[in-house]
Amino acid sequence: MRGKFRQVVTELAEQDERIVVILGDVSVYQFNQFSQRWPERFYNMGILEPTLVSVSAGLAALGLRPFVHTIAPFLTERCYEQIKLDLCYNRFGSNLVTCGASFDYAADGPTHHTYTDLAILRLLPHMEVMQPGSERELAALLRSQYANGNPSYFRLSDFPHDRDTGEVRFGQGAVLKRGSRDLTLLTAGPILDNVATAVEDLDVNLLYFHTLKPIDHALIAQFAHTRMLVIHDAFGLQEAVNEVAGLRIWHHGLTDRFCDGYGSVESIRQRLGLDVAGIRARVLGLLQQKETLP
Amino acid sequence: MNETCLKIRADILSIAHASGRGHIPTCFSIVESLYAVYSTMNHRPTEPQWPGRDLFVLSKGHAALGYYCNLAAFGYFPAEQVRAFGDADSLFGCHGDRFKVPGVEASTGSLGHGVGIAVGMALAGQIQRSGRRVITLVGDGEANEGTVWEAVLVAVDQKLSRFTLLYDHNNSQRRCLQIPNPGERFRAFGCEVTEVDGHDLAQLTDALQRTTDRPHVIVANTIKGFGCQTLCDDVFAWHRRSPDAATLARLMEELHAG
Repeated sequence: MRGKFRQVVTELAEQDERIVVILGDVSVYQFNQFSQRWPERFYNMGILEPTLVSVSAGLAALGLRPFVHTIAPFLTERCYEQIKLDLCYNRFGSNLVTCGASFDYAADGPTHHTYTDLAILRLLPHMEVMQPGSERELAALLRSQYANGNPSYFRLSDFPHDRDTGEVRFGQGAVLKRGSRDLTLLTAGPILDNVATAVEDLDVNLLYFHTLKPIDHALIAQFAHTRMLVIHDAFGLQEAVNEVAGLRIWHHGLTDRFCDGYGSVESIRQRLGLDVAGIRARVLGLLQQKETLP
Repeated sequence: MNETCLKIRADILSIAHASGRGHIPTCFSIVESLYAVYSTMNHRPTEPQWPGRDLFVLSKGHAALGYYCNLAAFGYFPAEQVRAFGDADSLFGCHGDRFKVPGVEASTGSLGHGVGIAVGMALAGQIQRSGRRVITLVGDGEANEGTVWEAVLVAVDQKLSRFTLLYDHNNSQRRCLQIPNPGERFRAFGCEVTEVDGHDLAQLTDALQRTTDRPHVIVANTIKGFGCQTLCDDVFAWHRRSPDAATLARLMEELHAG
């Protein structure tokens, strides 16, 4: 996905001289050609994330279109106030693009795991929050949102899915599966792969989101008569879905504890019940239950 | 004291009294600094968004009242408008909002933010080859924040020769984390440093007109509450205090007595 990010930003930069790339000493190799071609529009600025955000605000103030890229927890949790004030309150439209989604840096442990970013950034006025699950989604969202003047968050993963989620439009979810049973699954981002595989032969609805703010209220409301199960490897989607009132909703995802295991993304998903088997077991359990409130 | 600076201080006192709000001592320490900045930079008070303007960012945002009175003195709006300072529907909050106050380039308040934004503006000026100057005013208490020093590192690394950091060295941290010899520290970070008496307009103006090949830090040695001995004698008690009518009269008397 980082390669796609570089490719799209390079294509955009050929047309738009306002684009400036700022790195926090991450993914530098991706931008070797970009930096040689446009040295005044490329800055591997240093490992000082709050200042990367503030500087990008100053660039945006004068009409430039910055992309700030580094590892997710450091650019979001560490920089929350810079994002809140320098970007959102000031309405300086910078693009924050992170890598290391959820448990991508599995073996690095809790210091590098990132699961609050989507939830906390959703709370900030004017912020656009996106979790593209595939390279195709990323490309479409980057192109449509980078220059609109709002602060935008693009959460990249090194483990994207490669599924066709239909036409990609900012703020719109997709119906990937329609069933007849009283259960709708809602998911977002790369974990779709596990969810879709787990329920391939099950009679359920499956909704998918790449945009968590704004969430597609209309789509959710269409399925509000069914029970709902949010399946996500981060916080944020469940809270977004709950903006629609009156849902009968369950959650399958993270709990109130650090994931202190290491290993691989998939081994951590297994530990959390977010592997194919864990997700399937949860869905089957709900399908076997009589209709009840959570 | 310069006539305009005297009037700005009188406006600060009367508005702090009328509104019941204000950070008077910290506003008083930067009156000459702000006046010198707006006397030397390119700007058009009747056309605040003039594209050719230099930019100023008040990083120590809690000195907003002093900033508003300075902008009023330069003709951005009548000082009378600022009397609604801090009122529910006022344009003039206790920290400046760039969408409400003509001339405010960035909304600030939380310390250690404006300086990074200003560095970004200066970098934009360098990318766009606009030649515009960017000046930010940072408090010495604010310099407790690590982001101030992060931003200075970036400004030096990017050789932002049109960037000026005006450092209000008013000893606000005498009961807390002090930063002795700030000029030496900024010099060690790679900045060009000029130290001035922050209440001497000639020194400030000369420093602001210096051309440097790297970021320029002007350490303005100032006195919190400068102009009123009562304020200087107890700056901590006066940090957020507003004077009642009798005290206002005494402070005005002190101010005009010089």
